[in-house]
Amino acid sequence: MDPKKDILWRIYLVYFIVCLFGIAILTKAVTIQFVEGDKWRSKAENLTTRYHNIEAARGNIYAADGSLLATSIPIYEVRMDLNTEAMTDALFNENVDSLAICLSAIFREKSPEKYKRELLKARKDGNRFHLIKRKVRFNQLKEMKNFPLFRLGRYKGGFIYLQQNKRQRPFRVLAARTIGYDRIGIQPVGLEGAYGRELKGVSGKRLMQKIAGGVWMPINDANEIDPKDGNDLYTAIDINIQDVAEYALLKQLQVHDAHHGCVVLMEVQTGEIKAIANLQKDEDGDYYEYYNYAVGESTEPGSTFKLASLMAAIEDGLVDLDDSVDTEDGTTQYYDEIMRDSHKGGFGKITVKRAFEVSSNVGISKIVWQSYSDNPQKFVDRLYKMNLNKPLGIEIAGEGKPYIKNAKDTLWSGITLPWMSIGYEVQLTPLQILTFYNAVANDGKMVKPKFVKEIRDKRNVIKKIDTEVIDDAICSEETISKAQKMLEGVVENGTAQNLKAASYKVAGKTGTAQIANANYGYKYDKKISYQASFVGYFPADNPKYSCIVVVNAPSKDVYYGNLVAGPIFKEVADKVYATSIEIHDELQPQQFASATAIPYSKNGYKRDLQKVLADLQMPLNDQSAESDWVVTITEADKVHIKPKKIYQNTIPNVAGMAVQDAVYLLENMGMQVKIRGKGTVKSQSVTAGSAVQKGQKIVLELS
Amino acid sequence: MNTIYNHIKGDKAIWFVVLLLAILSLLVVYSSIVTLAYRHHEGNTLYYLFRHSMFVIVGIGIIYAIHRVKYTYFSRISQLALYISIPLLILTLIIGANINEASRWLVIPVINQTFQTSDLAKLALIMYIARMLSLRQDEIKDFKRAFLPVVIPVLIVCALILPANFSTAAALFASCIVLMFIGRISLKHIISLIGIGIAGIALVLGLATIFPNMFPRAETWVNRIENFQRNDSKSNYQVEQSKIAIATGGIAGKGPGKSTQRNFLPHPYSDFIYAIVIEEYGLIGGFGVVLLYLILLYRSIRIVIKSPKTFGALLAIGISFSLVFQAMINMAVAVNLLPVTGQPLPMVSMGGTSIWFTCLAIGIILSVSVEVENGIKIKGNQYATA
Repeated sequence: MDPKKDILWRIYLVYFIVCLFGIAILTKAVTIQFVEGDKWRSKAENLTTRYHNIEAARGNIYAADGSLLATSIPIYEVRMDLNTEAMTDALFNENVDSLAICLSAIFREKSPEKYKRELLKARKDGNRFHLIKRKVRFNQLKEMKNFPLFRLGRYKGGFIYLQQNKRQRPFRVLAARTIGYDRIGIQPVGLEGAYGRELKGVSGKRLMQKIAGGVWMPINDANEIDPKDGNDLYTAIDINIQDVAEYALLKQLQVHDAHHGCVVLMEVQTGEIKAIANLQKDEDGDYYEYYNYAVGESTEPGSTFKLASLMAAIEDGLVDLDDSVDTEDGTTQYYDEIMRDSHKGGFGKITVKRAFEVSSNVGISKIVWQSYSDNPQKFVDRLYKMNLNKPLGIEIAGEGKPYIKNAKDTLWSGITLPWMSIGYEVQLTPLQILTFYNAVANDGKMVKPKFVKEIRDKRNVIKKIDTEVIDDAICSEETISKAQKMLEGVVENGTAQNLKAASYKVAGKTGTAQIANANYGYKYDKKISYQASFVGYFPADNPKYSCIVVVNAPSKDVYYGNLVAGPIFKEVADKVYATSIEIHDELQPQQFASATAIPYSKNGYKRDLQKVLADLQMPLNDQSAESDWVVTITEADKVHIKPKKIYQNTIPNVAGMAVQDAVYLLENMGMQVKIRGKGTVKSQSVTAGSAVQKGQKIVLELS
Repeated sequence: MNTIYNHIKGDKAIWFVVLLLAILSLLVVYSSIVTLAYRHHEGNTLYYLFRHSMFVIVGIGIIYAIHRVKYTYFSRISQLALYISIPLLILTLIIGANINEASRWLVIPVINQTFQTSDLAKLALIMYIARMLSLRQDEIKDFKRAFLPVVIPVLIVCALILPANFSTAAALFASCIVLMFIGRISLKHIISLIGIGIAGIALVLGLATIFPNMFPRAETWVNRIENFQRNDSKSNYQVEQSKIAIATGGIAGKGPGKSTQRNFLPHPYSDFIYAIVIEEYGLIGGFGVVLLYLILLYRSIRIVIKSPKTFGALLAIGISFSLVFQAMINMAVAVNLLPVTGQPLPMVSMGGTSIWFTCLAIGIILSVSVEVENGIKIKGNQYATA
């Protein structure tokens, strides 16, 4: 055969085989794409790129003084990838024992053997997300990073941790319900809920791609959304007052074994809520913040509503404070219902103001009955005009709805008007009543309760929350001033005389309402349970703060507002008064005018005195010549200084000198100085002019 | 443009294939070095692009320079190259720079550039066999006069490459056998040689299990083959990632630079570059690359047909086959037709000096084609039988 032809067929054969090889490669590629394609593509989705959420740090909630009321602390969940490529059997087996021992030592939950068994099983199962521990604190995490295997990191050691943020309230129970919470799956509560969006911030997103080392790597900057930390809330809550309120409430609830109670303190002009405490007894008899009664619980207010009734009548010109009303023998009858005063025997004929001060049901209901029985709708309209039927519209969810029965209502009956006038058949929340009283204190201007003063982004104030005015004047000025007089009268000569304070005047109204037993369940044996309340403001002359205290279902025999709720009010008011400088009467400048304009100065070192007097721009008559030590003589318009003779080795007269100067002089001469008392030197034990003996004792009496 | 074109001699189709592969190489390597760049140069991918481009451009310069050399010189040069490469292989085994526990690299003293001695030895051996086969054509079926002179250098070189780089040795051995087959060596002898080869591999693997220190790479080989058979996803990470790349590529691909699997595949710029090609350019791209190599081989066959001399014919087909065969192995690994080996895709993979040796090889093929074209012009078709 021709060698060339021989070579050529061989080449063609080889070429044919190579072509087959090429076809095999392409066929395999097609198979991977079309036959196995879905499997690989679904794997690709899990592997390649992923948006990682970067949680934003939730904003803090602060008290007015900057104390932290709620903050987020990081907490970690530690898991382990026991099927990572780089973790060889040798590496795992070598370290599993010591890792188990470390885990057992740090958490003390399981024995090292148990940890080891779990790890071995997870390894066998190829578990890539084995749970080691939830709720790991930061310092524990730091320690765990040095554990055997874990210290090799994510890829070799399979160490995975996920950060979560745990919400904490450093003051725990204080204002707990008002601060509230915002947890997944639960209706958010309180300010956490109301300002959820502000606090939450915006979680960032980052497109990450897994690279060969098993590390997640950001792909590019354009896809990233930086997390924006939540804004901080600066509330009006004063943590000290809150503390006092909470504690005073707790004490009183315990004394009276009450079911629950609340205290709210509001700043009159701004509506700022300085303290809001809600406590409820749990099954063990302990008290805790379970529900925001102040905001959420609408009840029949009882006697505290009498203010609104009388104000309506006064505003409509139907009655005045000095008009008289017959309280009879403490009972009266409307149709077939008998109304009774709590004071047996009645007060007879008294003024309207007096009827209010003693909280006579008969008296108040008769006034309203006489004024409005021909046109009850007028009474209702007047109450509506004072905004009593409108919810406050506060940001905290769950505000109880006010209910002021309309005369056109089918439920309106003949006895509705008298009973309504003393606070029954109407429903209001404690905060709504407080807001009404606050308006009276604020000379008729009704402002909305304000929980949050500012929203800040780090240090920048991004939103200042202004006080919202509900109504510039709920009624005429005359009516307001009469209402104020009545409220002052309650404390001066009425039902709340026990709240009279020596240093400041309180105005307010007690309330004792009967509450249907069914509301509080089987635990209360009595047919009727009570709601004791006190609402008022102080100082009455120039109101700064208004406050309401409501105690529900005191189970002991005492249930009057002044005795149950009053002491809480007083304790809070005393605390506020003691700590608020602005509330005290200003000291009058005249008190100083009579005093010497030139301050008294002690004898002493001349240059010191010259400097002080020069700085104070005091006229100085210097007659001291060369002397270092001088005697001062203070006159009405100037200070004279004269030389004080100091001789070596002679005890000087130090009387009238400041202690430090006297001690300096004497010790420099070698005397041992002892001091008794305080102030300026009055006398000395060694007479002036005697010779100095080194080491000799000299006692200075001060005054 | 015309002047450059006039200077370029030889088979234009081969030139075309080489340039297309070079362009593809720049595109795919640039896309797939992101991970490497992140690990070593703070994400500076341009560093690698620049470096790789330099190698490719110099490589094309080498092709140009070599293809202007009269191919008959390579007969003598092959002898010299073989005699140089054998001691160099021994030297590499002893002191070679240790990369992946495999002693494959030597540093060229002056330019301080590492290169794989096996790249040199491979080329030298193929050239030498082409020389011997053409010299002994008259007595080609003779055992002593033809078979032994050919087979002894093959066994020596392959045995020296084997400890450090099993797959290269095996591929080279296979290429040599194919070349001997084309060169009309007795089939009887070839079959017995294959027997020897298999026995040799068995011996090495046997020794490796008894004396693990003798062949540090043996464990990797066994693992790779076992993994290939087992198909277990944990241990076959590379293959799985490669398949994901292919599967997500589709028919038209994700587009240049859009690979995501480059981040998961180890060595996406060399061993698994074909997977990235399919991911970015789809089955169309994958088909194109296979086609380019087949064209390269086909054009070499055309040279054989036209070649007046046996040496030229065997040189062209031998070198061309070994390149294409290596390419096929690389692609077969990427599609999981063969177990994982470290064979780069000639002209495409990023590989520094190995690109230069590929260029050298292509230069030689072109040099033969230049001679063939000249021969056709001057002497007409005259096949050497002497």
